Amino acid sequence: MDKSTTNDSIAARPLQVLLLFSVFVIATCGLIYELIAGTLASYLLGDSVTQFSTIIGAYLFSMGIGSWLSKFIDGDLLKWFIRIEVLVGIIGGISSCLLFILFEYAVSFRIILYTLVGITGILVGLEIPLLMRILQGRLQFKELVSQVFTYDYIGALLASVIFPLVLVPYLGLIRTSIFFGLLNIGVALFVLYRFPETKRYRTTFTSGIVFFIMLLLGGFVFANRIMTYTETIAFQDKVIYSKSTQYQRIVLTRNNHELRLFLNGNLQFSSSDEYRYHEALIHPGMQALHNAKDILVLGGGDGLAARELLKYPSIRSVTLVDLDKGMTALFKENEILTELNKRSLLDPKVTVINTDAFSWIRDNRKEYDAIFIDFPDPSNYSVGKLYTNSFYAEVYRSLKQDGFAVVQSTSPYMARRSYWCINHTIESVGFLTIPYHAYVPSFGEWGYTLCSKNYTWKNTGQLPAGLRYMNKATMENMLYFSPDMADVPTEINKLNNQVLVHYFEEDWGPYTH
Amino acid sequence: MKKTGDHIHTNTGETIDRKKFLWYLLGVPAMVSGLGGLSCNRQKRITGKFVGNSSTIGHMLRDTSQIPAPSKEIKTQVLIVGGGIAGLSAKRWLRKNSKLDVLLIEMAEDVGGNSAYGENNVSAYPWGAHYLPIPSLHNIELIDFLHEHNIIIGFDTKGLPIYNEYYLCHDPEERLNINGHWQEGIIPQLGVPDEDKKQIKRFLTEMDVYRSALGSDGKDAFAIPLDNSTCDEKYRALDSTSFKQYLTENGYTSTYLLWYLEYCCKDDYGCNIAGTSAWAGIHYFAGRKGKAANADPSAILSWPEGNGFLVKQFKKEDNAGIMSSHLVYKLEKDEKQVTAYVYDAAKKESITIVAEKIIMATPQYVNKKILADVAPDRSVDTFDYAPWIIANITINGMPAQRGLALCWDNVVYDAASVGYVNANHQNITTNSKKVLTFYLPYTSDTPKTERNKLYAASYEQLQDKILEELNYAHPGIRQYIEHMDIRMWGHGMIAPVPGLIWGTQRHLAKNNIDNKIFFAHSDLSGISIFEEAFYQGIKAANEIMGT
Repeated sequence: MDKSTTNDSIAARPLQVLLLFSVFVIATCGLIYELIAGTLASYLLGDSVTQFSTIIGAYLFSMGIGSWLSKFIDGDLLKWFIRIEVLVGIIGGISSCLLFILFEYAVSFRIILYTLVGITGILVGLEIPLLMRILQGRLQFKELVSQVFTYDYIGALLASVIFPLVLVPYLGLIRTSIFFGLLNIGVALFVLYRFPETKRYRTTFTSGIVFFIMLLLGGFVFANRIMTYTETIAFQDKVIYSKSTQYQRIVLTRNNHELRLFLNGNLQFSSSDEYRYHEALIHPGMQALHNAKDILVLGGGDGLAARELLKYPSIRSVTLVDLDKGMTALFKENEILTELNKRSLLDPKVTVINTDAFSWIRDNRKEYDAIFIDFPDPSNYSVGKLYTNSFYAEVYRSLKQDGFAVVQSTSPYMARRSYWCINHTIESVGFLTIPYHAYVPSFGEWGYTLCSKNYTWKNTGQLPAGLRYMNKATMENMLYFSPDMADVPTEINKLNNQVLVHYFEEDWGPYTH
Repeated sequence: MKKTGDHIHTNTGETIDRKKFLWYLLGVPAMVSGLGGLSCNRQKRITGKFVGNSSTIGHMLRDTSQIPAPSKEIKTQVLIVGGGIAGLSAKRWLRKNSKLDVLLIEMAEDVGGNSAYGENNVSAYPWGAHYLPIPSLHNIELIDFLHEHNIIIGFDTKGLPIYNEYYLCHDPEERLNINGHWQEGIIPQLGVPDEDKKQIKRFLTEMDVYRSALGSDGKDAFAIPLDNSTCDEKYRALDSTSFKQYLTENGYTSTYLLWYLEYCCKDDYGCNIAGTSAWAGIHYFAGRKGKAANADPSAILSWPEGNGFLVKQFKKEDNAGIMSSHLVYKLEKDEKQVTAYVYDAAKKESITIVAEKIIMATPQYVNKKILADVAPDRSVDTFDYAPWIIANITINGMPAQRGLALCWDNVVYDAASVGYVNANHQNITTNSKKVLTFYLPYTSDTPKTERNKLYAASYEQLQDKILEELNYAHPGIRQYIEHMDIRMWGHGMIAPVPGLIWGTQRHLAKNNIDNKIFFAHSDLSGISIFEEAFYQGIKAANEIMGT
């Protein structure tokens, strides 16, 4: 109210216009941060309706807290306004970058997300009331309210239009948030230099502001490098589901023609060709059995192997042992996924047991007609145990005399020694093995080991109708190993040497570095 | 990398870079001011307590005047005092080879002694000894015991034992944190200068020579049980000097080698190299001569509960006639029998047990008090015992690190502790929660001084000390720790000080008193290992049956 004479207000008119322009910028920034948080949350956590709705709610509520808090701010309002602008700029600016990076620690990700949303909301909520108080003496009340809110809503419209159409596709989330952070700080800088009252602290503030601008500019330039540090960039496609369970990170991505499932960043299947993998896993063994009744599946929490098994009417029970309850629950509940596995995990014949397969089979006293083993590749010591002679000895004990077991055995082409090490380890416990392989485009050449206690396997059984990959000719082809995949000598994988993990690391080394 | 059509870099290196990057970001002051609450770990309290302190009842021996007078009497042919491995082994041997009526009493709530163990909802874990090296083929009694309990599942055509692979220590076995990195194996390699590596190699070669060396009498220079070692003075003389002196005399100066040997002595004997006899120091390397059909000679057996698993096998064989929470506080002996005065800590009353013969499967510092009336001039002052603390730490994860993944045994170069064992390692079940068993011997001063230091410490002080040690190799581990129990071992293990093993006192202490009181304890061997305790028990049992 200090200098609000009519003359002054005419002289200060351009200043007011600029202040109102600030309202516009602030409003745009504020909405952008909200949109970024909502997008990131649905992108990373899935379920966009819930994410957007709760983020918007929390954000608006925090803005309310900010507005309420504004009444406790007294004294040099301009100084406060500049401070808040800088803070909004820096926190909002780095918010997407921070959320991407912290997503790895997904256990408390929601807390981090909502804290960030809350802080940004409170700060943004402070902006407009403060600005209105700054403008108070310079405009009539009705003018003030009308203009401030007009620019506020125009800003919101602009933000909501350019965000999906321009910003996300061209700048990306990290650069968008940094860009708007810079705009906020720009407003601070503008206020700092256009208002004579700020002279006293101009120099001190400027150095701080310059530092933050440099920081944000740095982030803007290195945005791509930041993205490569975050796992999410690793997925080419849109992440539609992501969850960290006690044992692994499950990520589901989708593009126009396929769904992909990743466990700890490793592709488990693509909906476009998983039928090849699962038909090859199940049918060579099953067609050779007559009247198989009780089947054991170890691993295979996606229910896709079970889906293939349920095509055999003779089956009475399928016992599926998978470590991760999060995984089997997902494949029981998610609509897209139950469509893929034909609700196999909900079938009354299928019993899902969530426990460690090794300790389960050690305690198992039942014999099965067929056992299918679909574990992740032996890339670490805890999975490596599931490929040891000790484990296969338990499998041997759990298989009927004339039954078959089939083990997914990694790629005989890309991990040749690993493949044959698994084969030799299985043989070392008394199994006779029939190695075979199939081509699965999204994995490459993939290997399996069929195990039996005597030479009874034949390629003459009846295959279920409607298979897309397997027939008698395919099966014959699968048995042939070209020289570049042929048998190589290896040690036996044991609990006390875990050679397979070493082979596997070395075999895959050239493909992953 | 199952089915790796799309390429995603998931090697551990990247995770670490990402983590580093994150900390770098959090380090930016602007962010710390904005998100201070996120970056600083609030110091949550780690729950836990002292456990298994049977020393409290043991210390009643210092002043027996508080103990109530005996109210009843029990009779038995043989009474074994002490339910550690020596006592259990003696009991087993008598049961298998005689018809004698045997009773065993143990001061603690359960038998096991240094092979005590515990269990929580994450894992079983040891409170003491945690492994057994595969024994030499000459150790027939031990091989039989292992075979009886399916630890050896059979023998190959050459007669070599086939070990149960669930019990052989799983890979990866050992790692050492050195120069900020976890290397495979405990012998320092990473960043070690060539000159040091040469010395290490020379030392190990020399130990190989000792391992196969025979004395003039044709016996092994270094054997387990060590009583089977040669009498050849050429080797026995090594017992009169310290290991440190031996190393100096032989030109071993490498700091890395000396650290490693210091670690070995601490780990097996609870002593530093100056306090260990050269004979014992060499025995650590030259005594083990295991052979197996399906494992390396250096292979070891281990279980989540450590040697507690072996205790369970003893109990499985025969759990009758064991009275725990019973403390012998006095012995009397006449022409015909021995009378033990026993305090029942559970019922808070006393009894007398009258036995024809008695085996004291108790350490000599305890015998000194119990036998004060019967054998006042029995001299055992060269027997000293190293103090230890052991902590069992439940964690729900670990900070990412460079180098080899978590192993069974994890040691940190230049630390006071001898590292920790992952108790879950031999559990085939995958669990992100684990129990780490942390071993810290007190070796910087004489055992007595160190013991007093230990007894004066509070739980919180020891917890801080352990956290500090752990944090050195695992910055940020605190936030993953859920629980920490600590056990003090004031007299943890017999210290093989120079002159103990082949000196006169150990020799005399083994002698029975009037064919009535016999002795069985690993301290009579001078080194505290399962094999020696097992052997001492059998030896005392044989003595009784022979009289």
